[in-house]
Parts: sequence; structure tokens; C-alpha cells
Amino acid sequence: MLKIYKLSLMTIIGLVALYTFQGYYPEFIAFFSNAFPPLITGAAVIVSGISLERYWRRISDKFSAIWLYFTCGLFLWFVGEAVWAGYTLIMGVLPYPSAADVFWLAGYIPFFMALCSYVRLFGGALTRKTLFLSLAATFTLTIFVAFALFIPVLEAGDDPVTTALNIAYPLLDLSLFSVTHLGLVIFWKGKLGKPWLLINAAIVVNTFADIIFIYATVQGVYYSGHMIDVLYQFAYLLFMVAFYVHAKEF
Amino acid sequence: MNQRMATFEKALVEAVDEGLLMLGESGREVVYFHLRHYYGFTKEDVPSNPQILVRCLEKIFGVGARAVERDIIKSLYRNLKLKYMEKKSFDFIEYLNEAKAQLKDDK
Repeated sequence: MLKIYKLSLMTIIGLVALYTFQGYYPEFIAFFSNAFPPLITGAAVIVSGISLERYWRRISDKFSAIWLYFTCGLFLWFVGEAVWAGYTLIMGVLPYPSAADVFWLAGYIPFFMALCSYVRLFGGALTRKTLFLSLAATFTLTIFVAFALFIPVLEAGDDPVTTALNIAYPLLDLSLFSVTHLGLVIFWKGKLGKPWLLINAAIVVNTFADIIFIYATVQGVYYSGHMIDVLYQFAYLLFMVAFYVHAKEF
Repeated sequence: MNQRMATFEKALVEAVDEGLLMLGESGREVVYFHLRHYYGFTKEDVPSNPQILVRCLEKIFGVGARAVERDIIKSLYRNLKLKYMEKKSFDFIEYLNEAKAQLKDDK
């Protein structure tokens, strides 16, 4: 088990180093930041698919359904990344919004369903106090995001679709976080605590990435190979490791 | 006394089977695997040492074990046709003792 953590840490250090010194190879980093995400998402889909194969019995079986949702969500994000890579690497454009956003947004639905179904199974273990604190934490985070992002997004005066997307991503991230942190509370002391910690980390990193990406886009400072891209790659890596550890522990 | 205990034990084994089904068949199989692999136990051994099942569930699910235990207890009470009343201060073992006591009073 230690091997996967060491390998992940080395990958993270390698990615940070690669993006830090990008000034020496700007063309390569522009290529890499678009070519690598479909690969890492594809790997995450495969790991999730292996778990699905392991837990699958029938659709009415709760664990089977949960892993089907997880795999569908990751698959849609993989398609989103592949479409984005097609735009940037083949067509040479940086469109936002684009068809990739349709897949990225669609991916949130099965992912949210998977997290909700999983946490609901064990929801009876949560006390009212925990639920209240959780609600308060989610509310505080939403207010924080609203102040940090919504005002500049609305002031940017983009077209309605872009503005809606800019607001939708952080909100969808927060909706995932509102469920995942409950999972962490439930499983923290058990073997499943490790994968749930990793899922939480992935969602937190993804939320930060989306907030910074939108802020950078609004300010017009985003470019292919921007340091933000490494955060998305961390998030996918964390999802992949989370699903691997889940299958190993349970 | 022996017959009453035999009924209780049979009902408990069935309740473990039914309660763990909240995880789906695959989830239940994994719990049984953990029970066998890490504790050398089968579901048939649960009545003789229910604490092992509690430990195994807590080891896997942490606080979430409570939700699984509650489903097992509900199944047990239903199988024995006993009145189930949720008590916040009760843990799994206390519910089992309560069921045994109720069963004794009914006879």
C-alpha cells in the first residue's frame, strides 16, 4: 500500500517541478498541460472500473450502483478532458465555454449521486449536532466563495452562458464537498477513512482549481500550461489513488 | 432455555445476513471476508462472540458501523417478533441483551 502513496508523492513533486520551471520549455508545457489530463483521467476511469467490476452484482445492489455512478462521473470528466485536448492540441484554440464543459458539468451528476448514495447508507450514524455543524461549514464556504468569486465574475460582464458556467463550477464543487466531508466524518476512524480523506482532498483541490481558473479567465491571464493546470492533475491523481485504496482496504 | 437460545442464535445469524445486505451483496461478502481473514470468524460464530463483529465493523467503517449495527438489530427484533425501541444510550451488545431478556419474558 505504501508503494502507491510513494508513487503519488513522486508524481506530485515531479509535476510541481515541471510546471515551476516551465519558462525553459514553454511549448512543451503548453502541450503537456493539455495532453496529460486525458491520460490521468483515463487511468482514474480504469481504476474506478476495476472497483466496479469487483463490486458489481446488479443495478439494484447499492454498492454496485455507487461504483457505476463513480465510474460514469469519471468517464464523463475523461471525455471532457479529451474534448478539451482536441480543441487545444488539434484545433489550436482555447474555447470557453465549449463542448468540453457539457461533459464536465454532466460528470458532476453521477458523481454527486455516488457520493450521496454512499453517505446515505451510513447516514444513520451521524448525530444532529454533526449535521448542523456540517450545514454551517458548507454555508460558510459558500459565503466565502461568493465573496471571492461571484462579484468579480458578475463585474466582468461576460455573456450569460459564460457567467452561468463561472458560477456553476464552484457551486457544483461545493455541493460535492457538502457530501464528501460527511463521508470523512463517518469513516474517519475506520479503514475507509483513508480513501474518503483522499476523495475529500481531490474535491478540495478541484474546487480551488476551479475558483482560480475562473478568476484567471475573468482577469484574462489564463494560458495553456498555467500553474493552475497542475491542481486539476493533482485532483485526478487523488481520485485515482482514492479508488485504488478503497478497493485495497475494502 | 436451550431451545430459546438456539432460536435467538439462529435469528441473530439471519439478522447479520439481512442487516449487512444494506451494503449490497458485494459489501456483505467483503465484511464476511474481513471477519474470516482478520478474526478467523464466520457469521455462525457471531452469537458466541458478537463483540468480534462489532470490532470488525468499527475497524472498517469507523462511526459508520453504528448504522450497520442498527440494521442488524432491527432485523433481529423483527425476526424474533420483538418490539424494537431505539435507545440512544444502547450499544449493539446491550440491544442483544435486551432482546434476550424480552424473549425470556415472552415465554
